[in-house]
Amino acid sequence: MRPRCNRIAAAWIALSGLFAAAPVLAADAVAPHEWLDRMANAVRTTNYEGTVIRQHNGTVEALRVAHKVTDGVIRERVVVQEGNGLEIIRNGNEVHCILPERKSVLVEEWNNQSTLFSTLPSSDIRFGSEYDIAIVRNDRIAARKAVMLAIRPHDNFRYGHRIWLDMETGFPLQTQLIGDDGKPLEQVRFADIKLDSDILASALASSYNTENFKWYTQPSRRLNNAVETNWNAEDLPTGFRVVSTQQEQVPGAEDPVLHILYSDGLANVSVFVATKKDKNIAQRSRVGASNAYSTDTGNYRVTAVGEVPAVTVQQIAESMRPGD
Amino acid sequence: MNDALKMQVSAFVDGELPENETELLVRRLSQDYELRQQVADYLSVGRVMRRESGVAGIERLRDRISAELDERPSQDNADRAPVSDPSRLLRPLTGVAIAATVALIAIVGLRQTPEPGVDEIPDAVADLGADGSYTERASSDDLLRHYRLIHGEVASDFDANGINARLVTLQLREGAPVDEVPDEDDVSATDVAEDSVPATTRQQ
Repeated sequence: MRPRCNRIAAAWIALSGLFAAAPVLAADAVAPHEWLDRMANAVRTTNYEGTVIRQHNGTVEALRVAHKVTDGVIRERVVVQEGNGLEIIRNGNEVHCILPERKSVLVEEWNNQSTLFSTLPSSDIRFGSEYDIAIVRNDRIAARKAVMLAIRPHDNFRYGHRIWLDMETGFPLQTQLIGDDGKPLEQVRFADIKLDSDILASALASSYNTENFKWYTQPSRRLNNAVETNWNAEDLPTGFRVVSTQQEQVPGAEDPVLHILYSDGLANVSVFVATKKDKNIAQRSRVGASNAYSTDTGNYRVTAVGEVPAVTVQQIAESMRPGD
Repeated sequence: MNDALKMQVSAFVDGELPENETELLVRRLSQDYELRQQVADYLSVGRVMRRESGVAGIERLRDRISAELDERPSQDNADRAPVSDPSRLLRPLTGVAIAATVALIAIVGLRQTPEPGVDEIPDAVADLGADGSYTERASSDDLLRHYRLIHGEVASDFDANGINARLVTLQLREGAPVDEVPDEDDVSATDVAEDSVPATTRQQ
Protein backbone atom coordinates (compact mmCIF):
# COMPACT_ATOMS: atom_id res chain seq x y z
CA MET A 1 0.00 0.00 0.00
CA ARG A 2 2.71 2.44 0.90
CA PRO A 3 4.72 2.19 -2.32
CA ARG A 4 1.49 2.85 -4.22
CA CYS A 5 0.84 5.89 -2.04
CA ASN A 6 4.36 7.06 -2.68
CA ARG A 7 3.87 6.78 -6.40
CA ILE A 8 0.65 8.74 -6.15
CA ALA A 9 2.36 11.33 -3.98
CA ALA A 10 5.23 11.59 -6.43
CA ALA A 11 2.80 12.03 -9.30
CA TRP A 12 0.95 14.66 -7.32
CA ILE A 13 4.13 16.53 -6.59
CA ALA A 14 4.96 16.51 -10.28
CA LEU A 15 1.51 17.83 -11.13
CA SER A 16 1.74 20.42 -8.40
CA GLY A 17 5.03 21.51 -9.86
CA LEU A 18 3.40 22.01 -13.21
CA PHE A 19 0.40 23.96 -12.05
CA ALA A 20 1.61 25.68 -8.91
CA ALA A 21 5.33 26.00 -9.29
CA ALA A 22 5.85 29.02 -7.12
CA PRO A 23 4.24 27.68 -3.92
CA VAL A 24 6.07 24.36 -4.27
CA LEU A 25 9.37 26.13 -4.53
CA ALA A 26 8.48 28.21 -1.53
CA ALA A 27 7.66 25.13 0.52
CA ASP A 28 10.69 23.22 -0.69
CA ALA A 29 12.92 26.12 0.16
CA VAL A 30 12.35 25.20 3.80
CA ALA A 31 13.71 21.88 5.00
CA PRO A 32 11.23 19.45 6.57
CA HIS A 33 12.79 19.74 10.01
CA GLU A 34 12.55 23.52 9.77
CA TRP A 35 8.85 23.16 9.04
CA LEU A 36 8.50 21.15 12.26
CA ASP A 37 10.35 23.85 14.15
CA ARG A 38 7.99 26.42 12.68
CA MET A 39 5.08 24.28 13.71
CA ALA A 40 6.32 23.95 17.27
CA ASN A 41 6.76 27.71 17.50
CA ALA A 42 3.35 28.38 15.92
CA VAL A 43 1.59 26.05 18.34
CA ARG A 44 3.22 27.86 21.25
CA THR A 45 2.57 31.41 20.13
CA THR A 46 -0.38 31.60 17.70
CA ASN A 47 -3.82 32.80 18.69
CA TYR A 48 -6.56 31.01 16.81
CA GLU A 49 -10.25 30.36 16.70
CA GLY A 50 -12.02 27.77 14.61
CA THR A 51 -13.86 24.51 14.16
CA VAL A 52 -12.02 21.23 14.34
CA ILE A 53 -13.28 17.97 12.91
CA ARG A 54 -11.89 14.94 14.68
CA GLN A 55 -12.18 11.51 13.11
CA HIS A 56 -11.28 8.30 14.81
CA ASN A 57 -12.54 4.74 14.61
CA GLY A 58 -15.23 5.64 12.14
CA THR A 59 -16.67 8.38 14.31
CA VAL A 60 -16.62 12.07 13.58
CA GLU A 61 -17.01 14.88 16.07
CA ALA A 62 -16.80 18.62 15.80
CA LEU A 63 -15.08 20.84 18.31
CA ARG A 64 -15.25 24.61 18.55
CA VAL A 65 -11.90 25.97 19.69
CA ALA A 66 -10.58 29.35 20.81
CA HIS A 67 -6.96 29.71 21.88
CA LYS A 68 -5.05 32.73 23.08
CA VAL A 69 -1.54 33.14 24.44
CA THR A 70 -0.73 36.16 26.57
CA ASP A 71 2.78 36.52 28.02
CA GLY A 72 3.24 32.79 27.64
CA VAL A 73 0.02 31.95 29.49
CA ILE A 74 -2.39 29.83 27.48
CA ARG A 75 -6.11 30.49 27.65
CA GLU A 76 -8.26 28.08 25.72
CA ARG A 77 -11.81 26.95 25.27
CA VAL A 78 -12.86 23.74 23.54
CA VAL A 79 -16.51 22.84 23.15
CA VAL A 80 -17.66 19.47 21.88
CA GLN A 81 -20.44 20.35 19.45
CA GLU A 82 -22.42 17.13 19.76
CA GLY A 83 -23.32 14.66 22.44
CA ASN A 84 -22.75 15.65 26.02
CA GLY A 85 -21.63 19.22 25.23
CA LEU A 86 -18.38 18.82 27.11
CA GLU A 87 -16.52 22.10 27.55
CA ILE A 88 -12.86 22.42 28.35
CA ILE A 89 -11.76 25.77 29.71
CA ARG A 90 -8.06 26.29 30.21
CA ASN A 91 -6.45 29.16 32.04
CA GLY A 92 -2.73 28.61 32.27
CA ASN A 93 -2.12 25.20 33.74
CA GLU A 94 -5.57 24.95 35.33
CA VAL A 95 -8.14 23.17 33.22
CA HIS A 96 -11.85 22.93 33.90
CA CYS A 97 -13.71 20.11 32.20
CA ILE A 98 -17.38 21.07 32.36
CA LEU A 99 -19.91 18.26 32.10
CA PRO A 100 -23.23 20.08 31.64
CA GLU A 101 -25.37 16.96 31.81
CA ARG A 102 -23.89 16.06 35.15
CA LYS A 103 -23.75 19.67 36.31
CA SER A 104 -20.20 18.96 37.28
CA VAL A 105 -16.81 20.56 36.79
CA LEU A 106 -13.66 18.46 36.89
CA VAL A 107 -10.57 20.51 37.67
CA GLU A 108 -7.30 19.24 36.27
CA GLU A 109 -3.78 20.54 36.06
CA TRP A 110 -1.98 20.32 32.73
CA ASN A 111 1.67 21.01 32.26
CA ASN A 112 3.13 23.66 30.01
CA GLN A 113 3.81 21.19 27.23
CA SER A 114 0.18 20.10 27.00
CA THR A 115 -1.36 21.95 24.14
CA LEU A 116 -4.35 20.61 22.33
CA PHE A 117 -2.97 20.90 18.84
CA SER A 118 0.45 19.45 18.92
CA THR A 119 0.73 15.77 18.25
CA LEU A 120 4.47 15.84 17.89
CA PRO A 121 7.38 16.37 20.23
CA SER A 122 8.92 19.77 20.61
CA SER A 123 11.44 20.94 18.08
CA ASP A 124 14.49 19.99 20.11
CA ILE A 125 13.68 16.31 19.82
CA ARG A 126 15.52 14.88 16.88
CA PHE A 127 14.31 11.84 15.06
CA GLY A 128 16.64 8.93 14.82
CA SER A 129 16.95 6.67 11.84
CA GLU A 130 13.55 5.13 12.52
CA TYR A 131 11.64 7.75 10.55
CA ASP A 132 11.92 9.65 7.32
CA ILE A 133 10.43 13.10 7.07
CA ALA A 134 9.56 14.61 3.73
CA ILE A 135 7.56 17.37 2.14
CA VAL A 136 4.92 15.64 0.06
CA ARG A 137 2.90 18.32 -1.63
CA ASN A 138 1.09 21.60 -1.34
CA ASP A 139 -2.52 21.50 -0.39
CA ARG A 140 -5.39 23.65 0.77
CA ILE A 141 -6.95 23.18 4.20
CA ALA A 142 -9.62 25.41 5.74
CA ALA A 143 -9.26 27.79 2.81
CA ARG A 144 -5.57 28.30 3.54
CA LYS A 145 -2.50 27.24 1.62
CA ALA A 146 -0.77 24.40 3.34
CA VAL A 147 2.28 22.21 2.94
CA MET A 148 1.91 18.53 3.64
CA LEU A 149 4.66 16.71 5.51
CA ALA A 150 4.93 12.95 5.95
CA ILE A 151 6.78 11.26 8.77
CA ARG A 152 7.20 7.65 7.72
CA PRO A 153 8.50 4.91 9.98
CA HIS A 154 10.98 2.42 8.58
CA ASP A 155 9.28 -0.54 10.21
CA ASN A 156 5.92 -1.64 11.58
CA PHE A 157 6.73 -0.91 15.22
CA ARG A 158 5.46 2.67 15.11
CA TYR A 159 2.86 4.78 13.40
CA GLY A 160 3.43 7.35 10.73
CA HIS A 161 2.19 10.94 10.68
CA ARG A 162 0.95 13.31 8.03
CA ILE A 163 0.85 16.98 8.87
CA TRP A 164 -0.56 19.86 6.89
CA LEU A 165 1.07 23.11 7.99
CA ASP A 166 -0.17 26.56 7.21
CA MET A 167 2.17 27.91 4.54
CA GLU A 168 2.24 31.35 6.13
CA THR A 169 2.61 30.56 9.82
CA GLY A 170 3.51 26.87 10.14
CA PHE A 171 0.43 26.22 12.22
CA PRO A 172 -0.88 22.60 11.90
CA LEU A 173 -4.18 22.74 10.05
CA GLN A 174 -4.56 19.00 9.79
CA THR A 175 -2.82 15.99 11.31
CA GLN A 176 -3.21 12.29 10.67
CA LEU A 177 -1.89 9.28 12.50
CA ILE A 178 -1.14 6.57 9.95
CA GLY A 179 -1.36 2.85 10.61
CA ASP A 180 0.93 0.26 9.08
CA ASP A 181 -1.58 -0.27 6.26
CA GLY A 182 -1.10 3.34 5.20
CA LYS A 183 -4.58 4.35 6.29
CA PRO A 184 -5.34 7.13 8.79
CA LEU A 185 -6.15 5.89 12.28
CA GLU A 186 -7.01 9.32 13.61
CA GLN A 187 -7.39 12.72 12.03
CA VAL A 188 -7.74 16.23 13.37
CA ARG A 189 -8.60 18.86 10.78
CA PHE A 190 -9.66 22.48 10.93
CA ALA A 191 -12.80 23.06 8.91
CA ASP A 192 -12.40 26.79 9.43
CA ILE A 193 -9.83 28.81 11.29
CA LYS A 194 -8.84 32.38 12.02
CA LEU A 195 -5.15 32.70 12.81
CA ASP A 196 -3.75 35.48 14.96
CA SER A 197 -7.15 37.05 15.28
CA ASP A 198 -8.34 39.02 18.26
CA ILE A 199 -9.89 36.53 20.61
CA LEU A 200 -12.61 38.09 22.72
CA ALA A 201 -12.73 37.25 26.39
CA SER A 202 -16.23 35.89 25.89
CA ALA A 203 -14.89 33.31 23.44
CA LEU A 204 -12.70 31.91 26.20
CA ALA A 205 -15.35 31.82 28.91
CA SER A 206 -17.68 28.95 29.63
CA SER A 207 -21.15 29.16 28.17
CA TYR A 208 -22.55 27.59 31.30
CA ASN A 209 -23.28 29.16 34.63
CA THR A 210 -21.38 26.74 36.82
CA GLU A 211 -22.31 28.43 40.07
CA ASN A 212 -24.52 25.57 41.13
CA PHE A 213 -22.38 22.85 39.59
CA LYS A 214 -20.45 20.42 41.73
CA TRP A 215 -16.71 20.97 41.49
CA TYR A 216 -14.26 18.12 41.77
CA THR A 217 -10.55 18.62 41.94
CA GLN A 218 -8.31 15.94 40.62
CA PRO A 219 -5.70 15.08 43.21
CA SER A 220 -2.25 15.77 41.86
CA ARG A 221 -0.49 12.70 40.68
CA ARG A 222 2.06 11.67 43.23
CA LEU A 223 5.39 12.26 41.62
CA ASN A 224 7.64 9.36 42.29
CA ASN A 225 11.38 9.45 42.37
CA ALA A 226 13.34 7.69 39.75
CA VAL A 227 14.35 4.21 40.78
CA GLU A 228 16.99 1.82 39.64
CA THR A 229 15.71 -1.41 38.15
CA ASN A 230 17.15 -4.56 36.70
CA TRP A 231 14.13 -5.07 34.49
CA ASN A 232 14.80 -4.53 30.83
CA ALA A 233 13.39 -5.39 27.44
CA GLU A 234 15.55 -8.02 25.77
CA ASP A 235 13.92 -7.50 22.38
CA LEU A 236 13.31 -3.78 22.26
CA PRO A 237 12.39 -2.47 18.79
CA THR A 238 15.14 -0.40 17.25
CA GLY A 239 15.31 3.20 18.35
CA PHE A 240 13.39 2.89 21.61
CA ARG A 241 15.31 3.80 24.73
CA VAL A 242 14.50 4.16 28.42
CA VAL A 243 13.31 7.67 29.19
CA SER A 244 12.33 7.27 32.83
CA THR A 245 11.99 4.56 35.47
CA GLN A 246 9.89 5.11 38.55
CA GLN A 247 7.58 3.45 41.01
CA GLU A 248 3.89 4.27 40.88
CA GLN A 249 1.24 3.75 43.50
CA VAL A 250 -1.58 2.67 41.23
CA PRO A 251 -5.15 2.52 42.55
CA GLY A 252 -6.26 -1.08 42.43
CA ALA A 253 -2.74 -2.46 42.67
CA GLU A 254 -1.72 -3.88 46.01
CA ASP A 255 1.98 -3.09 45.80
CA PRO A 256 3.82 -0.25 44.11
CA VAL A 257 4.16 -0.81 40.38
CA LEU A 258 7.40 -0.36 38.47
CA HIS A 259 6.87 1.98 35.52
CA ILE A 260 9.42 2.19 32.72
CA LEU A 261 8.83 4.67 29.89
CA TYR A 262 10.41 3.94 26.53
CA SER A 263 10.51 6.43 23.64
CA ASP A 264 11.91 6.55 20.14
CA GLY A 265 11.65 10.34 20.17
CA LEU A 266 8.16 10.29 18.71
CA ALA A 267 6.30 7.24 20.03
CA ASN A 268 6.10 6.37 23.72
CA VAL A 269 5.54 3.02 25.40
CA SER A 270 5.03 2.52 29.12
CA VAL A 271 5.79 -0.82 30.75
CA PHE A 272 4.21 -1.57 34.12
CA VAL A 273 5.58 -4.43 36.19
CA ALA A 274 3.28 -5.52 39.02
CA THR A 275 3.11 -8.50 41.31
CA LYS A 276 0.84 -11.21 39.94
CA LYS A 277 -1.48 -11.06 42.93
CA ASP A 278 -3.08 -7.98 41.46
CA LYS A 279 -6.09 -8.46 39.24
CA ASN A 280 -5.89 -9.98 35.82
CA ILE A 281 -5.69 -7.58 32.91
CA ALA A 282 -7.05 -8.17 29.44
CA GLN A 283 -4.19 -9.59 27.41
CA ARG A 284 -4.82 -7.24 24.51
CA SER A 285 -6.77 -4.00 24.45
CA ARG A 286 -6.87 -0.78 22.50
CA VAL A 287 -8.20 2.76 22.91
CA GLY A 288 -7.95 4.75 19.72
CA ALA A 289 -4.42 4.32 18.46
CA SER A 290 -3.21 3.23 21.87
CA ASN A 291 -2.59 -0.47 22.35
CA ALA A 292 -1.90 -2.48 25.47
CA TYR A 293 -0.58 -5.98 26.01
CA SER A 294 -0.28 -7.87 29.27
CA THR A 295 1.64 -11.05 30.02
CA ASP A 296 2.99 -12.93 33.00
CA THR A 297 6.69 -13.33 33.66
CA GLY A 298 7.49 -15.43 36.69
CA ASN A 299 5.65 -13.92 39.63
CA TYR A 300 5.08 -10.66 37.84
CA ARG A 301 2.50 -9.29 35.45
CA VAL A 302 4.01 -7.10 32.74
CA THR A 303 1.76 -4.67 30.87
CA ALA A 304 2.92 -2.48 27.99
CA VAL A 305 0.82 0.53 26.94
CA GLY A 306 1.46 3.05 24.18
CA GLU A 307 0.39 4.83 21.03
CA VAL A 308 2.05 2.24 18.87
CA PRO A 309 0.86 -0.78 16.89
CA ALA A 310 -0.23 -3.86 18.81
CA VAL A 311 2.86 -5.79 17.72
CA THR A 312 5.11 -3.27 19.46
CA VAL A 313 3.53 -3.48 22.91
CA GLN A 314 3.38 -7.26 22.59
CA GLN A 315 7.05 -7.60 21.68
CA ILE A 316 8.18 -5.26 24.41
CA ALA A 317 5.99 -6.84 27.11
CA GLU A 318 6.97 -10.38 26.24
CA SER A 319 10.66 -9.56 26.18
CA MET A 320 10.74 -7.92 29.62
CA ARG A 321 13.00 -9.84 32.00
CA PRO A 322 14.31 -9.13 35.49
CA GLY A 323 18.07 -8.85 35.48
CA ASP A 324 20.38 -10.56 37.91
CA MET B 1 -29.88 16.01 46.24
CA ASN B 2 -28.86 17.65 49.50
CA ASP B 3 -25.71 17.23 51.54
CA ALA B 4 -27.44 15.12 54.17
CA LEU B 5 -28.42 12.56 51.57
CA LYS B 6 -24.92 12.57 50.12
CA MET B 7 -23.55 11.84 53.57
CA GLN B 8 -26.06 9.04 53.99
CA VAL B 9 -25.12 7.46 50.69
CA SER B 10 -21.42 7.77 51.39
CA ALA B 11 -21.90 6.25 54.82
CA PHE B 12 -23.88 3.38 53.36
CA VAL B 13 -21.31 2.41 50.77
CA ASP B 14 -18.66 2.68 53.44
CA GLY B 15 -20.69 0.28 55.59
CA GLU B 16 -21.14 2.88 58.28
CA LEU B 17 -24.81 3.78 58.03
CA PRO B 18 -26.98 2.56 60.95
CA GLU B 19 -29.61 0.01 59.99
CA ASN B 20 -32.60 2.24 60.73
CA GLU B 21 -31.18 4.97 58.49
CA THR B 22 -30.35 2.38 55.87
CA GLU B 23 -33.97 1.32 55.70
CA LEU B 24 -35.07 4.89 55.18
CA LEU B 25 -32.44 5.46 52.52
CA VAL B 26 -33.30 2.30 50.59
CA ARG B 27 -37.01 3.07 50.71
CA ARG B 28 -36.46 6.60 49.53
CA LEU B 29 -34.26 5.49 46.63
CA SER B 30 -36.62 2.70 45.64
CA GLN B 31 -39.43 5.22 45.32
CA ASP B 32 -37.63 7.95 43.43
CA TYR B 33 -35.97 7.17 40.12
CA GLU B 34 -34.61 10.67 39.63
CA LEU B 35 -33.01 10.59 43.01
CA ARG B 36 -31.37 7.28 42.17
CA GLN B 37 -30.01 8.88 39.03
CA GLN B 38 -28.66 11.78 41.04
CA VAL B 39 -27.04 9.40 43.49
CA ALA B 40 -25.48 7.52 40.61
CA ASP B 41 -24.10 10.72 39.15
CA TYR B 42 -22.84 11.90 42.52
CA LEU B 43 -21.05 8.64 43.19
CA SER B 44 -19.66 8.21 39.73
CA VAL B 45 -18.23 11.68 39.34
CA GLY B 46 -16.74 11.61 42.80
CA ARG B 47 -15.18 8.27 42.16
CA VAL B 48 -13.74 9.28 38.86
CA MET B 49 -12.11 12.29 40.38
CA ARG B 50 -10.72 10.28 43.25
CA ARG B 51 -9.45 7.65 40.82
CA GLU B 52 -10.91 5.04 43.07
CA SER B 53 -11.91 1.61 42.11
CA GLY B 54 -13.91 -1.24 43.50
CA VAL B 55 -17.55 -1.94 43.98
CA ALA B 56 -18.69 -3.62 47.12
CA GLY B 57 -21.27 -1.54 48.96
CA ILE B 58 -23.10 -1.02 45.75
CA GLU B 59 -23.97 -4.70 45.58
CA ARG B 60 -25.69 -4.49 48.91
CA LEU B 61 -27.40 -1.28 47.89
CA ARG B 62 -28.73 -2.89 44.73
CA ASP B 63 -29.91 -5.94 46.61
CA ARG B 64 -31.66 -3.88 49.21
CA ILE B 65 -33.43 -1.71 46.67
CA SER B 66 -34.45 -4.73 44.61
CA ALA B 67 -35.82 -6.43 47.68
CA GLU B 68 -37.74 -3.31 48.57
CA LEU B 69 -39.25 -3.20 45.10
CA ASP B 70 -40.17 -6.84 45.21
CA GLU B 71 -42.26 -6.15 48.26
CA ARG B 72 -43.99 -3.13 46.87
CA PRO B 73 -46.26 -4.61 44.21
CA SER B 74 -48.41 -6.39 46.76
CA GLN B 75 -48.76 -3.20 48.78
CA ASP B 76 -49.54 -1.26 45.65
CA ASN B 77 -52.15 -3.77 44.59
CA ALA B 78 -53.94 -3.32 47.83
CA ASP B 79 -53.97 0.41 47.52
CA ARG B 80 -54.61 0.97 43.84
CA ALA B 81 -56.82 -0.09 41.02
CA PRO B 82 -55.13 -3.00 39.29
CA VAL B 83 -55.26 -1.84 35.67
CA SER B 84 -55.82 1.88 35.59
CA ASP B 85 -52.71 2.73 37.56
CA PRO B 86 -50.02 3.47 34.97
CA SER B 87 -47.32 2.83 37.52
CA ARG B 88 -48.32 -0.83 37.47
CA LEU B 89 -47.62 -0.98 33.80
CA LEU B 90 -44.19 0.41 34.47
CA ARG B 91 -43.51 -1.95 37.31
CA PRO B 92 -41.70 -4.64 35.32
CA LEU B 93 -39.35 -1.99 34.05
CA THR B 94 -38.60 -0.53 37.42
CA GLY B 95 -36.31 -3.30 38.50
CA VAL B 96 -34.42 -3.02 35.26
CA ALA B 97 -34.15 0.71 35.69
CA ILE B 98 -32.75 0.29 39.14
CA ALA B 99 -30.38 -2.36 37.96
CA ALA B 100 -29.29 -0.02 35.21
CA THR B 101 -28.81 2.83 37.61
CA VAL B 102 -26.84 0.73 40.00
CA ALA B 103 -24.92 -0.74 37.13
CA LEU B 104 -24.10 2.80 36.10
CA ILE B 105 -22.59 3.29 39.51
CA ALA B 106 -20.86 -0.04 39.22
CA ILE B 107 -19.25 0.90 35.95
CA VAL B 108 -17.38 3.73 37.51
CA GLY B 109 -17.01 1.99 40.81
CA LEU B 110 -16.71 3.03 44.38
CA ARG B 111 -14.13 2.61 47.05
CA GLN B 112 -15.50 0.32 49.64
CA THR B 113 -14.30 -0.28 53.12
CA PRO B 114 -14.47 -4.05 53.34
CA GLU B 115 -16.55 -5.68 55.96
CA PRO B 116 -14.85 -8.30 58.06
CA GLY B 117 -14.85 -11.60 56.29
CA VAL B 118 -15.99 -10.12 53.01
CA ASP B 119 -13.79 -9.84 49.94
CA GLU B 120 -12.88 -6.24 49.42
CA ILE B 121 -14.09 -5.94 45.86
CA PRO B 122 -16.43 -8.18 43.97
CA ASP B 123 -14.58 -8.51 40.72
CA ALA B 124 -17.36 -7.12 38.60
CA VAL B 125 -18.59 -4.04 36.89
CA ALA B 126 -21.38 -3.91 34.39
CA ASP B 127 -22.20 -3.24 30.78
CA LEU B 128 -25.40 -1.37 30.05
CA GLY B 129 -27.46 -2.49 27.14
CA ALA B 130 -29.63 -0.19 25.09
CA ASP B 131 -32.68 -1.78 26.69
CA GLY B 132 -31.44 -1.05 30.17
CA SER B 133 -30.18 -4.56 30.73
CA TYR B 134 -26.73 -5.12 31.98
CA THR B 135 -24.16 -7.81 32.21
CA GLU B 136 -21.37 -8.04 34.69
CA ARG B 137 -17.77 -8.28 33.75
CA ALA B 138 -14.34 -8.22 35.26
CA SER B 139 -13.22 -4.93 36.78
CA SER B 140 -9.59 -5.41 35.86
CA ASP B 141 -10.06 -2.72 33.21
CA ASP B 142 -9.82 -0.22 36.02
CA LEU B 143 -6.19 -1.11 36.55
CA LEU B 144 -5.50 -0.87 32.83
CA ARG B 145 -7.29 2.48 32.72
CA HIS B 146 -5.02 3.75 35.47
CA TYR B 147 -2.03 2.49 33.50
CA ARG B 148 -3.23 4.42 30.45
CA LEU B 149 -3.78 7.60 32.45
CA ILE B 150 -0.35 7.37 34.07
CA HIS B 151 1.23 6.68 30.70
CA GLY B 152 -0.44 9.75 29.23
CA GLU B 153 0.61 11.97 32.09
CA VAL B 154 4.20 10.81 32.28
CA ALA B 155 4.64 10.79 28.51
CA SER B 156 3.36 14.36 28.37
CA ASP B 157 6.20 15.37 30.68
CA PHE B 158 8.56 14.47 27.87
CA ASP B 159 6.76 15.84 24.86
CA ALA B 160 3.67 17.70 23.83
CA ASN B 161 0.40 15.89 24.19
CA GLY B 162 -1.98 16.26 21.30
CA ILE B 163 -5.71 16.62 21.19
CA ASN B 164 -6.28 12.97 20.47
CA ALA B 165 -4.43 11.86 23.55
CA ARG B 166 -6.18 14.52 25.61
CA LEU B 167 -9.66 13.59 24.47
CA VAL B 168 -9.01 9.90 24.96
CA THR B 169 -7.84 10.71 28.45
CA LEU B 170 -10.97 12.71 29.11
CA GLN B 171 -13.15 9.89 27.84
CA LEU B 172 -11.32 7.52 30.10
CA ARG B 173 -11.86 9.81 33.03
CA GLU B 174 -15.48 10.35 32.23
CA GLY B 175 -16.37 6.69 32.13
CA ALA B 176 -14.51 3.48 32.21
CA PRO B 177 -14.39 1.70 28.89
CA VAL B 178 -16.74 -1.20 29.27
CA ASP B 179 -17.47 -2.91 26.02
CA GLU B 180 -15.94 -6.32 25.62
CA VAL B 181 -15.46 -7.78 22.16
CA PRO B 182 -12.88 -10.14 20.78
CA ASP B 183 -9.95 -8.72 18.92
CA GLU B 184 -10.20 -9.06 15.15
CA ASP B 185 -6.98 -10.98 14.91
CA ASP B 186 -7.30 -13.04 18.02
CA VAL B 187 -10.51 -14.38 19.44
CA SER B 188 -9.04 -14.93 22.87
CA ALA B 189 -11.70 -14.41 25.50
CA THR B 190 -9.42 -12.02 27.34
CA ASP B 191 -9.14 -9.57 24.49
CA VAL B 192 -10.82 -6.21 24.88
CA ALA B 193 -11.54 -3.50 22.32
CA GLU B 194 -12.18 -0.49 24.46
CA ASP B 195 -13.11 1.79 21.62
CA SER B 196 -16.37 0.01 21.19
CA VAL B 197 -17.97 1.65 24.19
CA PRO B 198 -21.70 1.71 23.58
CA ALA B 199 -23.46 5.03 23.41
CA THR B 200 -25.35 4.30 26.58
CA THR B 201 -22.17 4.30 28.59
CA ARG B 202 -20.43 7.11 26.73
CA GLN B 203 -23.20 9.42 27.75
CA GLN B 204 -22.85 8.84 31.45
